[in-house]
Amino acid sequence: MTSAAQHDGAEAPGTAGETRPPVTPPGRWTFPEPATSRLANGLSVLAYDIPGQYVLSVRVVVPLSTRAEPRDREGVATLMARLLDEGTEAHSTDEFTELLERRGIDFGAGLSEAGLTVHVEVPKRNLGAALDLVHEALATPSFPDREVGRLVRTRLAEIEQERASAPHRAMREFAATYFDPAERASRPTAGTVETVSGLTRADVVAFHATHVAPNASTVVIAGDLAGVDVAAAVADSLGGWAPGPVPVAEPSRSAARAAADARRIVLVDRPGSVQSEMIVGCAGPDRHVDPTWSAYSVVSFVVGGSPNARVDAVLREDKGYTYGMRSAFRPRRAGGLFLTTGSVRTEVTVEALDLLLGILADARDGFTAVECTNGVDFLRNTAPSRYATADAVADEAAGLVLDGLPSTFTTSNLDAMATLTPEALTAAYDRFVDGRWTVIVVGDAGAYADRVRALGRGPVSVVAN
Amino acid sequence: MPLDYPVVRHTLANGLRVVVSPDHSIPTVTVNLWVNVGSRHEVPGRTGFAHLFEHLMFQGSRNVASGDHFALLMAAGGRLNATTWFDRTNYFETLPTGALDLALWLEADRHGHLLDAVNQANLDNQRDVVKEEKRQRYDNVPYGNALRDLYATVFPEDHPYHHPTIGSMADLDAATVEDVHAFFRAHYGPDNTVLSLVGDITPEDAIARVDRFFGDLPAIGHVARPTLPQLAPLTEPERHTVVGAVPNDRLYLGFRLPVERDPQFLAAALAIEALAGLSMSRMVRRLVRGEQSATSVQGHTMGFVDGVSLGLLAIDVAEGVDPDRVEEAVLEELRGFATRGATDAELEAALAGAERGWLSDLAAQDQRADALSHQALLHDDPDYVNRFLDDLSAVTAEEVAAAAQAWLAPGSRGVVAYLTGEEDVA
Repeated sequence: MTSAAQHDGAEAPGTAGETRPPVTPPGRWTFPEPATSRLANGLSVLAYDIPGQYVLSVRVVVPLSTRAEPRDREGVATLMARLLDEGTEAHSTDEFTELLERRGIDFGAGLSEAGLTVHVEVPKRNLGAALDLVHEALATPSFPDREVGRLVRTRLAEIEQERASAPHRAMREFAATYFDPAERASRPTAGTVETVSGLTRADVVAFHATHVAPNASTVVIAGDLAGVDVAAAVADSLGGWAPGPVPVAEPSRSAARAAADARRIVLVDRPGSVQSEMIVGCAGPDRHVDPTWSAYSVVSFVVGGSPNARVDAVLREDKGYTYGMRSAFRPRRAGGLFLTTGSVRTEVTVEALDLLLGILADARDGFTAVECTNGVDFLRNTAPSRYATADAVADEAAGLVLDGLPSTFTTSNLDAMATLTPEALTAAYDRFVDGRWTVIVVGDAGAYADRVRALGRGPVSVVAN
Repeated sequence: MPLDYPVVRHTLANGLRVVVSPDHSIPTVTVNLWVNVGSRHEVPGRTGFAHLFEHLMFQGSRNVASGDHFALLMAAGGRLNATTWFDRTNYFETLPTGALDLALWLEADRHGHLLDAVNQANLDNQRDVVKEEKRQRYDNVPYGNALRDLYATVFPEDHPYHHPTIGSMADLDAATVEDVHAFFRAHYGPDNTVLSLVGDITPEDAIARVDRFFGDLPAIGHVARPTLPQLAPLTEPERHTVVGAVPNDRLYLGFRLPVERDPQFLAAALAIEALAGLSMSRMVRRLVRGEQSATSVQGHTMGFVDGVSLGLLAIDVAEGVDPDRVEEAVLEELRGFATRGATDAELEAALAGAERGWLSDLAAQDQRADALSHQALLHDDPDYVNRFLDDLSAVTAEEVAAAAQAWLAPGSRGVVAYLTGEEDVA
């Protein structure tokens, strides 16, 4: 159908010209408030009604810490998560897969340092079936021996794939260099060859029995809930999930400690590499920081969140060294990191690293009022579209639960942003950035190791890929 | 279940096709432009140019300084980007409704008056940036050039889809400011563009605003060449093997498919889903969970408009397993599928997954706008976003089997094998 255009009140064509139109600022926006309830088994329920979102997003968050894994069994929690939809007491692997996919249910489960998250996307009419299957997967997984062995081998293949991927390889080296070796955070969440190879069904069963229970868990349901009796749907499904024998402890809120020699440069050698993948990092806050996480969101944007941010204004738009580097404060449940990541062509590795360290140091001298305003406006005014879908709302809500933050956090953080000053940004940055960095470069070390040493930016070591 | 997203169409006097879909759920609007030029329009010696050109669209225009397009829109609360693909280049931003005029002004300035600002320094800088993009996304990534190799294996050398959108380093090096001028004049104009607006606006107001900012851009008299005739399936298998530093053996099997709106295209897409795109797909069931000769199997379909589409299977071979044996098992499954067709359960799951995927794709204003522009530019039919699921669910099991027989025969495969080993190329 073609409409007849109405031109009432509009200027004639051709008058737009040279004058940039003014912008009318939007009003205050708030993150949706959930309807909350709690089942007898301890499970908290957060329901976000978002009209027009016909694919519903479900998250089940089970707080647990990867620190609880036995040292020689690290990765068992991730393996357990990946096995949840591989068969239950009532259904074989193939049967369970069919039950999900014939109803259009996308099911995934993964581990972060703070907990297990099951994530499900489902057309609205099949919510009940989806919740039944989520309950079955969490409460009565069978962990078939054959699938345990298969997913162990899949993880071993994945370790090789991650070793071959420069960004993954860099992050693994960063964790190993930055965190104290006694910390679980210094090693991959999903485990290493040494810890994964020997995992058995008994290990998985034991970990699940000890750590996966509804007692302290939360289910988030987001989407168009008109006509959906969420309370009944959850009670009829996850309501039957038996509580654990003992109260499941909340993961601790102590930050992982940095290594005594964290501030150094490690070159991971990949002869012939056409690019150098870099991570430059130091400590950062978690989202409980006072004052205030909002400042760190804005600083991330101003330093390295866009092509016009300080890092890419030089390294991309002026020098053409990179497709783009990003700087961001990355909160963990407790503590956090400030990381700048990206890749440059091998030939300019030393120049790029030197420039980058200079840009990050200069930021300690302060941010401008224009930077502050632009960053605040970007983050506040993009919020409605960033959180428009059921998927985005569910992810945000689940992330708050994992970090032990209230569901009002997103809105209060956006409100706090409105009062930020350039001085507040500078203070926030200076509180964590002291100019001493852990630097990882994955690339052809032979091409630049001597010149990196000559920069005098800290001790340099070279390790094999 | 028919969808009912509102779709209002209007064409300006200069040929700009406008699509408006009001959605007042949040106080934002998406501006999405599709220009009818992609890597399929590139000429020999200038591969990668459509994409390099897209980068220059952010480097200033008659009334906009270099970098200000990003800076002004982000400061106004806009999220924006652009991408280039075989069949089109798209430019898009989502922003508070009160910044719509700014977005339209910026887009009209660069879509109408880019060349005032193009210079050698901008070109050289963005050429370097694009070369880093190529290194980061393709050359420095295991299997990063596998799809490039698959296009070259499955499509004839002189075909528009033979080369990838990113192009080659040599061709990027060869690009000149004169090329930029000629490319802009040939392809960028209101009569070769669709502009979609989705969000907190009314059709009347939206169309009036678009007319105000774009109405004075002159038509370029663009006459599209007719699309190429449908390519037949390969008549014998083609093969390209790369031996080198990859973590495990991986096989890609590519097949020529009907163009995106051909009646057989959806049937072929459902066949690939049933074969390899789901966890319950028969190839996953057999190779990953049964024989455990593969650690993953994936199936994808890429719909194109210029004489052919692409169906592909990607198989990660398990450690210690002979890739030839895995390939033979894949061919057995293809033969069995062509003979007996999909099971009811496979077809039901393929449809259910596609429905969830399509509804998810339309859930956000920005992606909905992109879908409208796609259907408007390439098929003159934006309302298809509301009918796609009906068309898909009307496909019968017999049609799926027939599409597999016609297009997914083992003898019509192009194989790209990335194998672990010491040599660079075997």
